[in-house]
Amino acid sequence: MSAANYSRIAKEQIAILEKNGCSSDDWSAVSVAEGFDPRRVERVTFQGQVELGRFSGSIELADGIKRPTGIYRAKLRNVSIGDNCAISDARGWISNATIAEHVCIENSGTIACVGETSFGNGHEISVLVEGGGRELSITKDTSAQIAYMTVLYRDRKELHQRLNAMADACAGRMRGKRLQIGTGARITNCSEIINVAVGDYAVVNGAQSLKEGTIVSSKEAPTIVGNGVIAEHFILQQGSSVLDGAMVFSSLIGEGTRIGKQFSCENSVFFANCEGFHSEACSIFAGPYTVTHHRSTLLIGGLFSFYNAGSGTNQSNHMYKLGPLHQGVMERGSKTGSFSYLLWPSRVGAFTAVIGKHYAHFDTAEFPFSYINEEEGKSTIVPGMNFFTVGTLRDGAKWPARDCRRNTNKLDLVTFNVLSPYTGQKMIAGQARLLDLYEKTGKEQQWVTYKGIAVKRLLLKTCSRYYGIALDKYYGDILLGRITQGKADSLRALLNFSAAGEQGDGEWVDLGGLICPKNRISRIIAKITSGAIASVEQLQTELETVFRSYGDDEWNWFLVQYKKCTDRELSGEPREVIIGLFERWRDASLKLLTMVLGDISKEFEGEVRIGFGIDGNQDADFEAVRGTFAGNKFVAQLNSEIDTIKKKFDTAVTQINSTKG
Amino acid sequence: MMSNTLERVQRVTAELLKIDKSGVKPESNFVKDLGAESVQSIELVAAFEEEFDMEMDEAQALAVKTVGDAVTFIDRILATKKQR
Repeated sequence: MSAANYSRIAKEQIAILEKNGCSSDDWSAVSVAEGFDPRRVERVTFQGQVELGRFSGSIELADGIKRPTGIYRAKLRNVSIGDNCAISDARGWISNATIAEHVCIENSGTIACVGETSFGNGHEISVLVEGGGRELSITKDTSAQIAYMTVLYRDRKELHQRLNAMADACAGRMRGKRLQIGTGARITNCSEIINVAVGDYAVVNGAQSLKEGTIVSSKEAPTIVGNGVIAEHFILQQGSSVLDGAMVFSSLIGEGTRIGKQFSCENSVFFANCEGFHSEACSIFAGPYTVTHHRSTLLIGGLFSFYNAGSGTNQSNHMYKLGPLHQGVMERGSKTGSFSYLLWPSRVGAFTAVIGKHYAHFDTAEFPFSYINEEEGKSTIVPGMNFFTVGTLRDGAKWPARDCRRNTNKLDLVTFNVLSPYTGQKMIAGQARLLDLYEKTGKEQQWVTYKGIAVKRLLLKTCSRYYGIALDKYYGDILLGRITQGKADSLRALLNFSAAGEQGDGEWVDLGGLICPKNRISRIIAKITSGAIASVEQLQTELETVFRSYGDDEWNWFLVQYKKCTDRELSGEPREVIIGLFERWRDASLKLLTMVLGDISKEFEGEVRIGFGIDGNQDADFEAVRGTFAGNKFVAQLNSEIDTIKKKFDTAVTQINSTKG
Repeated sequence: MMSNTLERVQRVTAELLKIDKSGVKPESNFVKDLGAESVQSIELVAAFEEEFDMEMDEAQALAVKTVGDAVTFIDRILATKKQR
């Protein structure tokens, strides 16, 4: 219902309203839509300019009870109400608000816009470095990629200014003196909502206090705020939920992210599909799939993504010198075991499991898929070991399946791949580094320290081989994908560089969940700084192009790696060499699965049976609860995968032999 | 089973796991009896490789459960190496 459709209320209608216990200090300021039914408005106090829509029918809430549309027992001041809203028992004033159609407000306190506000948009928060220096202006349009560039690329002042200008523009568009409540929104049992924009179909039930925020929501991805929630200076993006006494201050809750069970956060951003329960977060950049579920876990001053925090996980960003200025980086896929501790600054390489307490400032970015442990107070690493564990294999499969985002136009661009040029380039570097350390270390030396962490000399060669196996598998995966897609007429054409891809020789980055060649991002940054990209929409379009180019870029990267390893072009190789690569892929894949099966078998043997059969029958009780290794679903899946690998190998060889030269 | 191999496996195992050599018997299970943890299993493989100057298949090596099996496994690799 637009303002143009409202006309001054008729005397007869005023008479009915007054008979229904309604009052106004100036009835001439009240206007109504054509077809307005005054019988559906009872005991309402009007102040200032009020517009009322048509009311007919009812709205059914989640409890299955239908509420008749209309306004019952409410105080309205400078409010526009769309058609078929059901407003009842509004204990506090609803003021300076534009309420769209089919909105239900029930049993709620103050819902108001006070003064001019941008509804949390443009609010500056101290991400990563708690003491400041990496501030981010959060807006409803802030994606993981935009935030990453803003927070992490601080040496590029022009970029920073331009990105801030985009955030300011968004805040400017949101700025106003009236709050909006979108179509189909439900606001029930809340205490106070001040300066909060509520999006379409948002469900706000039982919130204690919401101030200065935007709840982005849609019919396809409704956002939910639940009981006891306190939030101030916040952005909730589509499909997120903040429930059960959560406390959100100066934070952005991204698409599909779930916050609840008294979780509290401050100066933090959580992008796609994060989960925060019970625990606490302060000044963290939680990239996609950052998960913390346990009480007494504190995440502070860190960059995380695809991360799982064990109970009691803790970090320190403060050395009681210049303040809380230290930052930490946990690269994608990392996890911390129960009561693990990290003294920032440290950087943990991708897909690494951290166990124990660590006071050393180490940098293990070169060694992805590792185990970091504590031995007699010393931080130690076993590079590459985590590649062969069931946990990593399961993680890779579970993330895409757990994408809770239901909206079509997703803000965050997420590359799920465990093996990618990003981890690949690190494994290549790690492999070379380990061999170099091996060559340089005498046999009498038990430990080698590299970038703050100790690795056993004995493991240097073994672990470099682990990376070799992982790379054989990865290269084969890429080649297999290319061959089975078979988009070219001849084998030679198929093995050539992809015209749509990057040249393949540059570094790759993990830009807040988006894995891509650094060159592509450098070009985008150049466009931003030159003004060629001037809006968030343009920037998003460019980033989506990068996202879509992953396959071509990855292929070209692989071709360059092949050339580096062999000094030959893959496209010039005879069939036998290509088949040889597939053989290495098959062997590496089978080795991986065999080792993972070995890792799973530990879940069925020895000490894991402790406590089963509490009063006897240990094995029988264990099997009743946990099943058997042979009967395990995941084991069956892996065994089937072993057969699939063999079949894929045969198919690929047949295809190679049948494709013309 | 070559007695020399057994002795060397016992020595390497005892040194790495910091246990008495007399407790390392052919029937000893590395995990259940000698208390080898995941990382130590990898270290044992690496230590055997260094001791016998050979490379082991990671998956096969980690599947070895007892000291005696390790000796058989190592002897087999040594025999193959000799043939070459």
